[in-house]
Amino acid sequence: MKLSFLLFFLAQALKIASVTNSKFKKYIANASVKILIKTEAGPPARLFVFDKGKFHSVSGNTNDFDVALVWKDPNTAFSVMTSKSGDASFKAAAQGKLKVIGMSLYAQWFEDAIKLAL
Amino acid sequence: MGKIYGGHLAAKYLKEIQNVKMVFTLSGGHIENILDGLNKYGIRTIDVRHEQAAAMMAHAWSIYKNEPGVCLVTAGPGFTNALTGIVNAYLDSAPLVVLCGRHPIRDDLTGALQEMNQIDMVKPVTKWCATCYDIKRIPEYLSLAFKQATSGRPGPVFLELPPDILFIQTDEENVALPPKRDHKTALCPDPVAISEAVKIIDSAKQPLFIGGSGVGFSGCKKELEAFIEKTGMPFALLNNGRGTLPDNHPLSISDGGFTGITTGLPQADLVVLAGIRLNWVMQGTKLFPQAKVVRIDIAEHEIDRNRATDLGLVGDCKQVFGELTQKVKKNDHSQWLNTLQNAYKAFMTTELEKRTTPSDPIHPLRLVDRIMEVFGTDAFYVADGGDTCYWGLAGFQSAHPSGVQITAGSLLGCLGTGIPFALAAKLAHPDKPVIVLNGDGSFGFNSMEFDTAVRHNIPIICVVNNDCAWGMIKHSQEMSLGPDRCTCSELGLRRYEKMVEGLGGHGEYVTQDQEIVPALQRAVASGKPSCINVVTDHTVTSPATVIFYQNLSNF
Repeated sequence: MKLSFLLFFLAQALKIASVTNSKFKKYIANASVKILIKTEAGPPARLFVFDKGKFHSVSGNTNDFDVALVWKDPNTAFSVMTSKSGDASFKAAAQGKLKVIGMSLYAQWFEDAIKLAL
Repeated sequence: MGKIYGGHLAAKYLKEIQNVKMVFTLSGGHIENILDGLNKYGIRTIDVRHEQAAAMMAHAWSIYKNEPGVCLVTAGPGFTNALTGIVNAYLDSAPLVVLCGRHPIRDDLTGALQEMNQIDMVKPVTKWCATCYDIKRIPEYLSLAFKQATSGRPGPVFLELPPDILFIQTDEENVALPPKRDHKTALCPDPVAISEAVKIIDSAKQPLFIGGSGVGFSGCKKELEAFIEKTGMPFALLNNGRGTLPDNHPLSISDGGFTGITTGLPQADLVVLAGIRLNWVMQGTKLFPQAKVVRIDIAEHEIDRNRATDLGLVGDCKQVFGELTQKVKKNDHSQWLNTLQNAYKAFMTTELEKRTTPSDPIHPLRLVDRIMEVFGTDAFYVADGGDTCYWGLAGFQSAHPSGVQITAGSLLGCLGTGIPFALAAKLAHPDKPVIVLNGDGSFGFNSMEFDTAVRHNIPIICVVNNDCAWGMIKHSQEMSLGPDRCTCSELGLRRYEKMVEGLGGHGEYVTQDQEIVPALQRAVASGKPSCINVVTDHTVTSPATVIFYQNLSNF
């Protein structure tokens, strides 16, 4: 449940930034990227869709993504995603708690987008 | 001693002083006398079908043999055709020696055949260029050309030889051949700077070493190995540095390809960069804003270029590694290496799966994996194309210096370099398999060099990663313009293997995963230059395309 809320709030923050944050707006202006965050079991899952400056998000699992960040479990996802440490995702990947499916370059792009938005 | 022609004198110098064994050329009237001289002095000539290929092959020769590569082209269009290859060598800092014909001095400003100002055109893209006006000074000019090409940071040089001095004779005894100086003035940094670097290296917890062409040209395998193994630093070698230590070295992260580097750099607390420029290929400074940086480069102006360096060591890599190794403490970063490898493999989940899973249509990574299955690391690999460069970088591994060359992925981004590089690799290492992975777009530029391969019996194996498009451009147009507005980026399905068969080579057409390995084996058995035309998944986009697109869209 914690992870569902976190993903929901993240989506809201990105939505607001896509309207009000000029740096973020510039950053996403040319991007057409679909990023899925989910757990190995599937739910909770949420798709973040960037389409040339527009942003929206949909709850639920899907196969229609450019990159999927697949967390071992919701608690791990929550603790890493809320960590202030810059290398939390890297360490999680190294420990087998995070797999990146699809184009991993977009995962880094998404992480940078979040930094700009928050 | 009797009389000697100017063209013969040039050949004599190349043979007797520089010990040049091979010259890449295309015949022409203005250079006839040099060609005759090369024949007289027993220098092998590889005559190509377009001068661009001659320049690229000589460039490649310099990398595979670690000695200057020589190309000889005729005046006018011979010169302009060679320009792309010269620029490529310039941006790659390769010691290419270009000998070029010229319209006669006698006919200056008369509208002579192929009269043009070649020197002013070539000056901005060479390290040194000159015209020789005196037959007696031909050896002296050649001596200067070779010295300029190889001293300090290497680079291409250009020497114009007009027919007025090539087609006349002089007394041979009156011409001195300047000796080749074998001494190397190796530049080494100040001992204080070395000590400071040692402190930084010793205190690093998560260091990463990236070596480039400067490592390759320095001929520093022994010194690099000692440095890496004493410091315990994970490393990646790129460009002409690739293979100085084998890709399967326990501290190498080359199995991660591009992803290994881009995953490791942001986490490193120290990045040691040796003989590599922080240009767009390295994404400038974006990847490691926080890390300390130690840079080793023979060119002082590179030390702070695009990124303020914590410590710069100006010098030859071989000398610098030798000095550092004596002073650094023995260290073990195996835990950091292990963490890094696990992390980049997690980021490569899809890539690793694509490599090992049969696919229909064939995924390019699977194609690379099948090629590696047949030839392993005891081979030379070249990748040429857009997305194709990425697939080659991700999957090819070699145990040999310069064993993996991503030729179109360098600064000029010059498609068409693959076949010339592969031909030079095979000439330099005739006993080893040489495989070039070509995009179907890039194949078109120099595919007539299969005629060169057949005439000179150079049995390379060219695998065409055929996505029926200029894939990188098409996929970036899909991102920028939309899939319905792609322009000039489709190529259609073409039977390139039949073209190679028509030229006298061996051809194979592959559409199914299980056909790849047998087709490669038949190509080897044929003993001929071969083209294996493999139809791959045209929908696949590489991360290189995304970076390419981001670079050109973020204004």
